[in-house]
Amino acid sequence: MDQQHISGYFDYNATTPICSDVIDSMVPAMKLFANPSGNNRHSQTIKKTINEARQNVAQLLQTQVSNIFFTSGGSEANNWAIKGVLFKHIDKPGHIITTEIEHASVLDTVKYFADTFGFEVTYLKPKKDGAIDVSDLENALQDNTQLITIMYANNETGVIQSIEKMATITSARKIPFHVDAVQLVGKRKINVEKLGIDYLSLSAHKFYGPKGVGSLYIKDIDSIEPLIHGGGQEFSMRAGTENLVTIVGLSKAAQRVTESVEQWDSDNWQCKQHLVALLEASPLKIKFNGSTDYSNSLSNTLNIAIDGIRGESLMLQMELIYGFIISVGSACSNNKTINLSHVLQAMNINETDIQSSIRISFGRFTQLEDIEKFVTALVSAVEQLLAISTGY
Amino acid sequence: MYNDIIIDNFTNPQKVGDIALANCEFEIGNPVCGDRIKIQLMVENNTISEARFRAWGCATSIATANLFCESIEGKTTSDINQKNDQDIESMLGQLEPSQHHCVHILKELHQQLVVQANAGAQ
Repeated sequence: MDQQHISGYFDYNATTPICSDVIDSMVPAMKLFANPSGNNRHSQTIKKTINEARQNVAQLLQTQVSNIFFTSGGSEANNWAIKGVLFKHIDKPGHIITTEIEHASVLDTVKYFADTFGFEVTYLKPKKDGAIDVSDLENALQDNTQLITIMYANNETGVIQSIEKMATITSARKIPFHVDAVQLVGKRKINVEKLGIDYLSLSAHKFYGPKGVGSLYIKDIDSIEPLIHGGGQEFSMRAGTENLVTIVGLSKAAQRVTESVEQWDSDNWQCKQHLVALLEASPLKIKFNGSTDYSNSLSNTLNIAIDGIRGESLMLQMELIYGFIISVGSACSNNKTINLSHVLQAMNINETDIQSSIRISFGRFTQLEDIEKFVTALVSAVEQLLAISTGY
Repeated sequence: MYNDIIIDNFTNPQKVGDIALANCEFEIGNPVCGDRIKIQLMVENNTISEARFRAWGCATSIATANLFCESIEGKTTSDINQKNDQDIESMLGQLEPSQHHCVHILKELHQQLVVQANAGAQ
């Protein structure tokens, strides 16, 4: 791994560096070309490897192997959960509950079902701290609610939703509950069976695995339609020859998470506390977007608005001059529109603050000294931008 | 992505600042994305001897302001007036769709300069 790139990388919520033992596990798998569905002994070996991978993912989520289905990633898992449940009601479209702060793979899929098939949708709005009020979910329930889909932790703010409390309500009413946990898996321990949810999406590249592979947890296989027809793979729910190399990578990454997630979380939390303390002691005028405490937010994520600057300019300055990579919630779109973060807008953050916001996300390769260098660079970069804009 | 022209002008802007005795000054803004640029000039014998800017906006708009100031120093207003849209567009190099609003900013800066110069001449 490029050490300088890793030390300056503060965009782990976009993707994580693939760890070396995951790479080491994938390389030999590239040489295994037999079709896993074949009957020869090479095929049997591959089948066994895929089963082991399913076991590792099941262990990660603390569930049974029969509940784990491989996908091409988080977006596919989200699409499958929503489409698979709603297609069961296609002749009598009912009501869906989601939130305003979901990933596009949820929002766009739900919108597709509303626009094309006439499903009614309730979009729950978060409070100023980024959390969805559980009572809002309860109040939104209707007799014909056919699906609830809510993310576990938000990619932009890191705010964690009260999924366990929500699941108590949904399971009592027997309403299918899908949770997009793409940002949470690999950062906090998770037990899907204890949670009592019906579907959960995850993506390997968010926890040091390869891109192009993820998984959908399905509690009851009969509750959902298959995603891809045309073969017996994934228990006839997602046809197509398995992508062995990425599945092996997911397997190793899942194994590492199971072993180390608590340690990583503890290290991240230490980094976050240090980052918050340094920012508060700095001359920067900042506002935190969303909760920052341990229980209600991811230990690796901080979203802040910095007075007097544009986040997009700061992002480029940080990369080109200081070698730090961050991300922003708003960007120019064209002459007539600006893309403002839908998440920060839903939290009722004003436009100026959204334009001044940056997302800082770090991970298991981030050291405390990286945090210190980061804040020093951030202060300098902001001062440079303020010097350009003095008078405005 | 940002091209080298934008990167150079954004990371090392040479024309940031104020001119204490500026004899020409104008501001432009993009009401949609909020970019704001203030230009101050020293015009002597119809030639722009000094140009400075202040800006609040995206990286490309800051780079645009710097590039504009660099390009007009030492030029007469009639030199600048001779630039057509194609000349102005080519100054910023190849842009992403999200950066195209800066072409409009650059054109507006040129237009404002000509308007101000003409007003000064009258």
